[in-house]
Amino acid sequence: MNSKWWILRRTVQLAILALIASPLLGMTFFRGNLAAADLFGLPLADPLAFLQALIGGKVFVPSYLGSALLVVAFYFILGGRSFCGWVCPVGLITELGDKLRLRLGSGESTLPLATSRWSLGLVLLTVAATGIPLFEVISPIGIISRATAFMSLMPLLLLAAILLVEIVVSRRVWCRSLCPLGGFYSVLARFSPIRVGFDKERCTGCNDCLLACPVEEVLAPSLERGERQVTDGDCSRCLACVDVCPTRALHIDLFYKKRRTEHIS
Amino acid sequence: MAAETSHTNITRRQFLKGSAITPLALMLAGSGVAAVYLRPASASGFTLRPPGAIEEKRFLSACIRCGKCAQACPYQSIKMAGGDAGTGIGTPFIIARDIPCYLCSDLPCIKACPSGALDKKLEDIEKVRMGTAVIIDRETCLSIRGLRCEVCYRQCPLIDKAITIEPRHNTRTGEHTIMEPVIHKEKCAGCGICEKSCVLPKSVIVVQKSVEIQKDSYEF
Repeated sequence: MNSKWWILRRTVQLAILALIASPLLGMTFFRGNLAAADLFGLPLADPLAFLQALIGGKVFVPSYLGSALLVVAFYFILGGRSFCGWVCPVGLITELGDKLRLRLGSGESTLPLATSRWSLGLVLLTVAATGIPLFEVISPIGIISRATAFMSLMPLLLLAAILLVEIVVSRRVWCRSLCPLGGFYSVLARFSPIRVGFDKERCTGCNDCLLACPVEEVLAPSLERGERQVTDGDCSRCLACVDVCPTRALHIDLFYKKRRTEHIS
Repeated sequence: MAAETSHTNITRRQFLKGSAITPLALMLAGSGVAAVYLRPASASGFTLRPPGAIEEKRFLSACIRCGKCAQACPYQSIKMAGGDAGTGIGTPFIIARDIPCYLCSDLPCIKACPSGALDKKLEDIEKVRMGTAVIIDRETCLSIRGLRCEVCYRQCPLIDKAITIEPRHNTRTGEHTIMEPVIHKEKCAGCGICEKSCVLPKSVIVVQKSVEIQKDSYEF
């Protein structure tokens, strides 16, 4: 058990919030939020926000496409839903909420992970049919960002509602199963080269990793099948399993490895 | 009955807790959120947007609510809408009476907008059309009542283009001139500086939605 990755991940999560708040303090190297931003002059854009603006607003700005593709490339390499585990401020807050839920021992039930792909579909359908960029309207990510950068606090009620549902009824249901941006990145992540690798020979079967994993229906089947990598797109690369593994059977793989074919003789 | 429940091993309580409560709670939360957030953005009528904003319905789709225009505005004219704006949540707007748009010649808000919700093709401040100033209360306007006010005219960044002074005889006193400010909507940028400058407690000149310029049916 060590907490190397945990400390790094928390640092990154808090640094992102600090970046979003930095213009309030008069600093100029960061502008915007996670929907679109300038970081040291480098324009970055959320690809799902780009799709909604393109479909709903019918405007096309080439530089905007470029900055969205930059972000797509970045998360493709770093594992898609690594956005959820490392960057998203909602992920940080619901993670903390989940600690409270564990204390209370409530709300174990969850929805299937694939639901997030359905809500991604719903967002794209809604914007195509009505022009309402559904996710930009209800996005708790945007709400937290604007609460941080513009002190627009009232919409934080939505975040409170999410936290309440997650703590009382359903474990981390927003991040796991409802967030369309998570759904978007999970599609991307399936093909990402950076993955959690699994060394079956080193595994003692202690199950610590399964208890640490926020999406155990991703980790457990991979381990049971004895696969060499966790390939599922819903792995957020939070690396809690790597931190917790006592024998370093779980580690980070930087490249694709062929699937082990099962031979039962 | 007893035989039916015995082979499932799930009690009614477990079934309700496990399978029914989650979707129910999510539906409740979802409809609550929808009721608050998915109200039409234009419920309160006209919203003054930053310069270059495309047509309102498309603007609401194209604006990704990143707030970069507001951060770029040197006068803090641009504010970000809160939850009371319905689907317009997080979009930029201007309350001209508080801080109007001062029409910076380099239009930093448009440059900051990544998504094209503020039209990047707009580079000339005289072509900005955020709305049109309208004198909504002629009976209260000091200039129209015959006093020498004309503050809106003097403050207008497009003086003698968007607002002109049209003198006419004051029939009430019989010996003075009424210096009436007249707005030319085809020139007015809708920046709201006139609305801000009006000396009366409640501005009699306000920015409203631009109306399409009608061609005169009678060609003389």
